[in-house]
Amino acid sequence: MFSSQPFKDGIKHAIGVPALGLGSSMFAFGAFLNSAGFDIFQSFCSTFFTFALPGQFVMAETILAGGSLLNIFLAVLLTNGRLYPMTVNITPVIRNQNVSKWKQYLTSHFIAVTSWFNMFAVHQNIKQEDKFDYFVGLGGFLWANSVVCTIAGYLFSNVVSHEILVGMVFINPMYFLIMTVSNLKEKMMICSVLLGASLSIILNSFIPGWSVLVAGILAGSIGYILFKKEIVHE
Amino acid sequence: MSSQFIYLSILAASLGTYFCRAFGVYSARNISTDSPVFHWIKCVSIGVISAVIARIILFPEGILGEATSFSRISCTIIALVIYFSFKKNVLLAVIVSAISFALVNHYI
Repeated sequence: MFSSQPFKDGIKHAIGVPALGLGSSMFAFGAFLNSAGFDIFQSFCSTFFTFALPGQFVMAETILAGGSLLNIFLAVLLTNGRLYPMTVNITPVIRNQNVSKWKQYLTSHFIAVTSWFNMFAVHQNIKQEDKFDYFVGLGGFLWANSVVCTIAGYLFSNVVSHEILVGMVFINPMYFLIMTVSNLKEKMMICSVLLGASLSIILNSFIPGWSVLVAGILAGSIGYILFKKEIVHE
Repeated sequence: MSSQFIYLSILAASLGTYFCRAFGVYSARNISTDSPVFHWIKCVSIGVISAVIARIILFPEGILGEATSFSRISCTIIALVIYFSFKKNVLLAVIVSAISFALVNHYI
């Protein structure tokens, strides 16, 4: 796998804007962990084993707030619950009959918003039998880069000014926004995005912990029901 | 906070996150790319992502929460304007909005 051309192509895809977008936020996260009193190996372990930034921030903030392990588990589960529909969605796209179950479960660790967007942006141009290796290259590089950037952020937090750190944190949501906008080609997707953003804002006042998941499920379901007749089968 | 508690917390966070991914792989075992469920779950995924983006921009936590709403919203608009004005250049839009954000927060 690691010498295959699709794997290398996946790495090439990840190098550049995708790695910059995610890496900059991981750098800021490393700096945050340093200021919060974590040591460098703990910072490494957080990104190495979790690799989902909102949940990592929630974990660190719950520790600082004096939360229990159960608090942390449930808060992270709720925050990273967004990964569930993304995984259900991308798994049928990248798997083929030669990919064993354990490889699918292992590779699911690389599923994040950045890898999901970028895989969907190109998957129609990749042969089915090559998609899995391509995704491993793409997602695996983003994961490894995130670990390195977390460590770099931890080590160089004193060198970088606070204003630059704040700017770096802003890169990732802007990258998500632009990638979302660039994927809006079907009416059902446009409807889901507009409703998801609107409902999230409204529901945040009533159910702040659940607003993102509930808004996404409602928005996606309404978008699908309204425009399912327009689906073009591949 | 003890070092041992932090490692256990990282373990708890990793298990909570991996559960979402592993359960996703399990749930997808009978879903094909041309099934209705596939298209529905794609809409839900993009709906969740847009909800996350809206929440980060309007109700952020952590470092972004220190910035003003004006800086977050105005620089989001800058990102979109740059993206559509310069042949949908993702890198330019992201970099210009981040630099604008840092400058607005520093000077305003």
